[in-house]
Amino acid sequence: MRYMLFALLGMGLFIPPAFARPVSYPGGVTAMTMNDGDKNSLHLHYSPTAKMSLGYKFEYWRDNEMTINAVQMNNLLKRWNKPDSQANLYLKSGVGVAYSDYGDFDGETDIAAFTGIAADWEDRRRFISYENRYTEAGDIDDFFMQSARVGWAPYEGDYGDLHTWLMLQVEHKPEGDDHYTVTPLVRLFKDVHLVEAGMNNRGEILFNYVFRY
Amino acid sequence: MKKFTLLLTVITMSFAAPVLAEEANLAATQAADAGDVRVSVNGLVCDFCARALEKVFGKQDEVENINVNLDTKIITVNFKEGQNLDDETLKTLIQDSGYNVEAINRDE
Repeated sequence: MRYMLFALLGMGLFIPPAFARPVSYPGGVTAMTMNDGDKNSLHLHYSPTAKMSLGYKFEYWRDNEMTINAVQMNNLLKRWNKPDSQANLYLKSGVGVAYSDYGDFDGETDIAAFTGIAADWEDRRRFISYENRYTEAGDIDDFFMQSARVGWAPYEGDYGDLHTWLMLQVEHKPEGDDHYTVTPLVRLFKDVHLVEAGMNNRGEILFNYVFRY
Repeated sequence: MKKFTLLLTVITMSFAAPVLAEEANLAATQAADAGDVRVSVNGLVCDFCARALEKVFGKQDEVENINVNLDTKIITVNFKEGQNLDDETLKTLIQDSGYNVEAINRDE
């Protein structure tokens, strides 16, 4: 049943999430790498319109040495444009192949799929977001995770300036050994580059980089 | 002590840069030529929004360039000699970029 759901999603009913903008402007190309104590990931996507993007996603999950190679589609379900703020609701999903050589898995390969929603609100000084995701990787793993962020910009940068955000991220993984992870981080954003760096409550480094052209 | 002074200088300049850039942006807006169009846009909250509008308008043959002011939420569209876009086209381009038009003002 779960595979049927993911198959339907894979046929075009996909959904995307919301931090670092999973959908770009028409014709925009985005490359992003996200790295923290749990995983490393790479996402490359192209946006034919301002409402969807399609791309490739690679993930490496450290605890069970699982890799996922997937096609990912992100959709902007709804955007609220206000004079001084903007809010978004995204759906992002992917289907692909998972592989693990950890312990008993011994080279196990399975179909993998994930889906989740993301929402954000921001003005030029404040930011708040939430996203979740369910991942199914056959016998290798299946898990749910969710995270939220709040952010504050110490100054209002204009177009072309270096933009600085101070953020706090809280992740919740009900099936993990440590259910909650708290990560204070700094986001720097200028031109086509976005960098995020932080350290969580277990002393693990977070480093994200987004290039958008 | 020298390192501390250097660090303090870098931090101070980082925070001062946006103010200087803002003044330059304001001057560019005030220098807009007659015949240009000023569009008040909802949802302009970051550089990403401005870049999206630049990319979309940059593909139009009629457009020389645009200036985006995040403070006033106004974009100024500068047209090539003898060229123009009607209001409906402007609205469509901005909506296609992911934003909404609040008002369009044309110089007489």
